[in-house]
Amino acid sequence: MVRKCGMEIGQARMKDELYACVHVSEFPTQALLRLRPDLKGKPVVVLQGEATQEAVCSMNQHARRRGASLGMTRLDAEGITGLVLLSRSPQGEEAARAILFECAATFSPRIEDVSHDTSCAFVLDIAGTERLFGPPLQFAERLRSAMENVGLHSSIAVSMNFDTARLKASAARGIVVIPQGDEAAALANQPIAELPLDEKHLETLAIWGIRTLGELAALPETELVTRLGQDASKWRDLAKGTAAHTLQPIEPALLLQEFCEFETTVERMDSLLFIGARMIDCLVARAAGHALSLASLTVEMKLEGSRIHHGKIRPALPSTDRKFLLKLLQLEIAAHPPPAAVISLTLTAEAGLSSKVQLGLFAPQTPEPSRLDVTLARLKAIVGDDRVGSPELDDTHRPGSFHMTDFTVEGNVPASKTSHARMALRRVRPPEPVRVDLRATKPAFFRNRENSFEVIAAYGPWKTAGCWWSTEGWDIEEWDVLANNSNGLTVACLLVHDRTHNEWRIEAHYD
Amino acid sequence: MPSSAALRLQIERSVEHRFPSALTPVARTIREVAPTGIAEVDALLDGGLPVGAISEITGPESSGRTSLALAFVARRTADQMCAWVDVADAFDPESAAANGVALQHLLWVRCCSADRQVKAKPWSRLDQALRATDLLLQAGGFAAIVLDLADTAPEHGRRIPLASWFRFRQAADSSRCCLIVLGKAGYAQSSAALVLECASVRSETAGGNLLRGFEFNVQRGRERFTHFSAGARKPPASTWSANAAWKSDRRA
Repeated sequence: MVRKCGMEIGQARMKDELYACVHVSEFPTQALLRLRPDLKGKPVVVLQGEATQEAVCSMNQHARRRGASLGMTRLDAEGITGLVLLSRSPQGEEAARAILFECAATFSPRIEDVSHDTSCAFVLDIAGTERLFGPPLQFAERLRSAMENVGLHSSIAVSMNFDTARLKASAARGIVVIPQGDEAAALANQPIAELPLDEKHLETLAIWGIRTLGELAALPETELVTRLGQDASKWRDLAKGTAAHTLQPIEPALLLQEFCEFETTVERMDSLLFIGARMIDCLVARAAGHALSLASLTVEMKLEGSRIHHGKIRPALPSTDRKFLLKLLQLEIAAHPPPAAVISLTLTAEAGLSSKVQLGLFAPQTPEPSRLDVTLARLKAIVGDDRVGSPELDDTHRPGSFHMTDFTVEGNVPASKTSHARMALRRVRPPEPVRVDLRATKPAFFRNRENSFEVIAAYGPWKTAGCWWSTEGWDIEEWDVLANNSNGLTVACLLVHDRTHNEWRIEAHYD
Repeated sequence: MPSSAALRLQIERSVEHRFPSALTPVARTIREVAPTGIAEVDALLDGGLPVGAISEITGPESSGRTSLALAFVARRTADQMCAWVDVADAFDPESAAANGVALQHLLWVRCCSADRQVKAKPWSRLDQALRATDLLLQAGGFAAIVLDLADTAPEHGRRIPLASWFRFRQAADSSRCCLIVLGKAGYAQSSAALVLECASVRSETAGGNLLRGFEFNVQRGRERFTHFSAGARKPPASTWSANAAWKSDRRA
């Protein structure tokens, strides 16, 4: 059914703004019936809620004619002869919504979701599509036909005003094209309940005798605002079809992923990097198209023998520098080479905001983040992954306990309160076992594999123990020892007696 | 009668084809220094260690080399980044924290023996340390880099080629980085702007059972950018002390 309001439909011209709203009413029912052609033409109601408190939330026209109504309980619905009762399916609705959106997306890339309650509606920005799909009427027919093809009955309204198209589509059946200037007339007969009014204001307007949008639009604005507040001005604009709206298009999730399957297996790193460079180029270009950078890059290689090899690149700051990212990829593959020939390569990037760093003339010098990333990767390639970073002390009383963390140039550090130099230890890793001779419970002489030491002075013992409830427990005595070695040099060292295993070792030297 | 200035000008002109500015002293560059945080050592060094140059801190074990380096790094990490290239994996984070080093601002490179590496690259710890130091100096942005050769045997340290030290000196100069080399002896030779020789003097005890600290002696062995003045000469050596962390409020 095609209706026209006011002037000739074909005269409605594409201007700067033009919207088409596709409205699918009774969406829970339509989503279920879409996959149940056997129920076509039968009265169907959809129930939702707990098993004992199920109520009708949606129905088709046949069921309405049989006397079904919204809110009806299952018991009441079962009392109507021939009525088919179905349970609401959120998954089915989600799938139908996705299909509806996909179908609409073939007509316009700018779509806003205006669904509410049990209806599903999308408003399409169709400005500039005349040459592709023809004038508004033809556009609407093609859109409705596409919806019918996916099994959804819809109503479509086309208007130069966003809200007019939305409101009209929800009330109309079939296709309505509203020419410019006829928005108020097109909405005049629609009930006032379609506006976002609360109960109090609905009651007030009902007392005034205002029941349609046309009646509301006819009221003087100043007096209306005086009595109902500033929101009344917005309602009046909606009723007149002049309300301004900025379209908020649905942005599909940005998936930055590139995949390449090789015709033959690849073993050389150069070949991998050749393909990787091209993939990074594509990822950077796609991210840059959204004004974003690459915050991290996950490398996944499918290897011979159905094995998967993973790698991760995480620059200190999101970057769009292709050469820099390629260098990191090269260092990552060099540090963790795939153990077998590569069948396919997948690069998945996480997008991040482009980094903006305000440099200062008098700011202290710090390493440039991107250059530091490459330096750290090279250092890790030389000494190992776990041997480069910043040390962080563990929250424990175990002597010498720490773990390594990633080194970053960000973050402020609280000012140190230490003003005087402290004795520093140089750890012996792993601790060196020694044989100790005791004299009056104190170490008097000890020797390791290379040297022997005569103790001049021994201070201690300092006993510590902890984690006795676990296998990582310790029970030690520490001795600060001054000793002469066989070369006549005096050294100060930290001698530890492990009481659990009854063994002595040099843990550290004072320096 | 010509003045002395005119006479000097006359002599310089007469020999300038062979010796330009023969009688004019060469203008000396005043090097920027960074304080070590130890008043006695700073007084000995006219303010601290030179910035953008190689400084060597030498001495036997337990001579205070590491304590001195940590005190310096603690000052530098307050608002800048530093690196510690650890040949023997002997760095103690607890001692560093007790000296006030901001560990978040410290990059610790722990060299390891070749057999521990995943890849079979036969780099010794010393090779790794030299490569790491080179990379860090070339990267720039570090206020101080400590090349810790304190446990390296002198015969190995002396095998470091002079070309490496020249390159380090150039890189440190261009990146304004203090390169501190800890060692049992001086290795950088003419590339070192400053050589400090450390020695232990005595230990401080309490009650016979508690080690409270050490007293160290530091001597200025060699200084490239020494500013000669007509006044009294600075003492060539100084004595400073490092206390145990448990001497005050908390243990390291």
